[in-house]
Amino acid sequence: MVADVTTPSTPVTGTGGGSRPRIRKRRRPVLPRVWHFLSFGAPGVLIYLCLVVAPIAISFGYSLTNYNPFNPPIKYVGLRNYNLLLHDQEFHTALKVTTILTLIVVIVPNVVGLLIALLLDKRGWLYNALRGVFFTPVILSSVVVSVIWTRLLDSEGPVNEALRGLGVHSPPGWLSDPDFALYSLASIVCWQQLGFCVVVYLAGLQGVPQELQEAAAIDGAGPFRRFRAVTWPLLAPALTINTVVMLISAFKMYDYVKVITNGGPGAGTTATIAFDVLATGFDSNHVGYASAMAIIMLLTVAVVTAIVLRLLQRREIDL
Amino acid sequence: MNTSRLPWLRPIVALLLTALFFVPLYFVLTNTFKPGDKIGHSPASLPIPPTLDNLNRVLTRPDGLFWVSLTNSVVITGISVVILTVLSAMLGHYLARSRSRWTRVLTLVLLSGLMIPPQVILIPITDVLRTLHMMTTLQGLILFNVGYYVPFGVFVFSGFIRGVPAELEEAARVDGASRMQVFWRIVFPLLRPATASVVIFLGVWIWNDFIDPFIILGPSQGTTVTTGVYRSIGQYQIDLGGVFAIMFLATLPVLLFYLVLQKQFVKGLTGGATKG
Repeated sequence: MVADVTTPSTPVTGTGGGSRPRIRKRRRPVLPRVWHFLSFGAPGVLIYLCLVVAPIAISFGYSLTNYNPFNPPIKYVGLRNYNLLLHDQEFHTALKVTTILTLIVVIVPNVVGLLIALLLDKRGWLYNALRGVFFTPVILSSVVVSVIWTRLLDSEGPVNEALRGLGVHSPPGWLSDPDFALYSLASIVCWQQLGFCVVVYLAGLQGVPQELQEAAAIDGAGPFRRFRAVTWPLLAPALTINTVVMLISAFKMYDYVKVITNGGPGAGTTATIAFDVLATGFDSNHVGYASAMAIIMLLTVAVVTAIVLRLLQRREIDL
Repeated sequence: MNTSRLPWLRPIVALLLTALFFVPLYFVLTNTFKPGDKIGHSPASLPIPPTLDNLNRVLTRPDGLFWVSLTNSVVITGISVVILTVLSAMLGHYLARSRSRWTRVLTLVLLSGLMIPPQVILIPITDVLRTLHMMTTLQGLILFNVGYYVPFGVFVFSGFIRGVPAELEEAARVDGASRMQVFWRIVFPLLRPATASVVIFLGVWIWNDFIDPFIILGPSQGTTVTTGVYRSIGQYQIDLGGVFAIMFLATLPVLLFYLVLQKQFVKGLTGGATKG
């Protein structure tokens, strides 16, 4: 579900500005270009339009109605669904839950992943093997990860057994206590995504020229100064990838919530927007209302991703 | 940081941290090979003596849940990845080679698909697929996968194709080959690293996907390995050994895939991190 942005700079920088006028000068006649599109481009574009673009348009259409498949006459209600969302306590909770989860899932794997990458940035079979261990959860299904941790964090599960063994009298119900559930959930996601950040940072670190480090050392820079002045700026592309990938995967978080807590404990303490959209649409059948939520979700994702991407890429260019 | 003074510190800290990180994975491994009653009272112990009962029970279930799920996952993942590779390589070629205002708009529309959460489109998708009489069928899920993941394929391929000199194709066209022939015989073999990335990532994502098969295949029409695991936690409430065994089996193919292609995995993942 991640890594949507593996080679971000290629398509952008690949369009070398210099080649554009050359192509324009000897523009081919229209017919071959249309044929090129029909034979190469059209099948992919058509499927994308039917299964992604059209559904978004339909979703927007639904959001302006009171559509409920089990309550037939569909009526146009204008922006009433959006208006209701503004005052919907449950939706506000979902926004808060999603924001907290997103912040944790963007920040923690980035910070811890960088520290572990610095630790493992050595040659040799040992470090290769350890890197492999950190990466393994990334290729596991989120359902498998969810089931493992549901068992581990059960109030009578191994984690609490171990805590009791260490002398903690009443360890919390990590997943059943409303005060802990959201943070437990976030930690589980961090555990799974950590390896992704580690591997991307390691690749970034291996791209930092040794000579630069040595030059800085000769100039009298200590290890922390060297990291801040040399290594960290050169890790900018890795930071961009990790942040954007974590951001996108945090926004669409559904599987963990569905399998581990089903939105609970209590009233929606772990229900993300992604979870609420499907629960409202499929379980309560308020399709119109759920569609309005989906459209808000889409706009939020688009705006936040665009802003974050722009900020991080500007930082890369400043190098 | 001062490893020059304490050379043994780094490997020891690294090992300890990795061991801590590994605990949940150990938990699955050890309990897959332990009899059910032992999982209950000593979940962390080593499986001595190991037993294959859990695996056997899952593999020989009368309803064949595991085998049906495995077949479905293999079919869905295999066909989706093949179609996606073909369509997105060609679409990527079109976008990389024909540069006009319209293709730039098209590229933007396609690439913005990279961040669309599936939940935003799943409700109308069920209506679209129902109209096509493809709801609750494998074909419907495959069609959805193709539409949803085509942006990623296009993103990887078009970036890569821009690095392949167009003169190569023009020379072959002058010799009388059609564009299609040139693409499949000359260009596509050069795209192997991009193809590897696309196959690896889409393979793992589609294999591990939960929400889309859960909604599109629905409860009645068979399961994939992930929805199979989800369904089994209800049924197996007492048979923990069975749950661990089915998780182990569901993960095994993708784990082997990863171990075999480890180098390409890391390369695909980090292409952007090092290129800058």
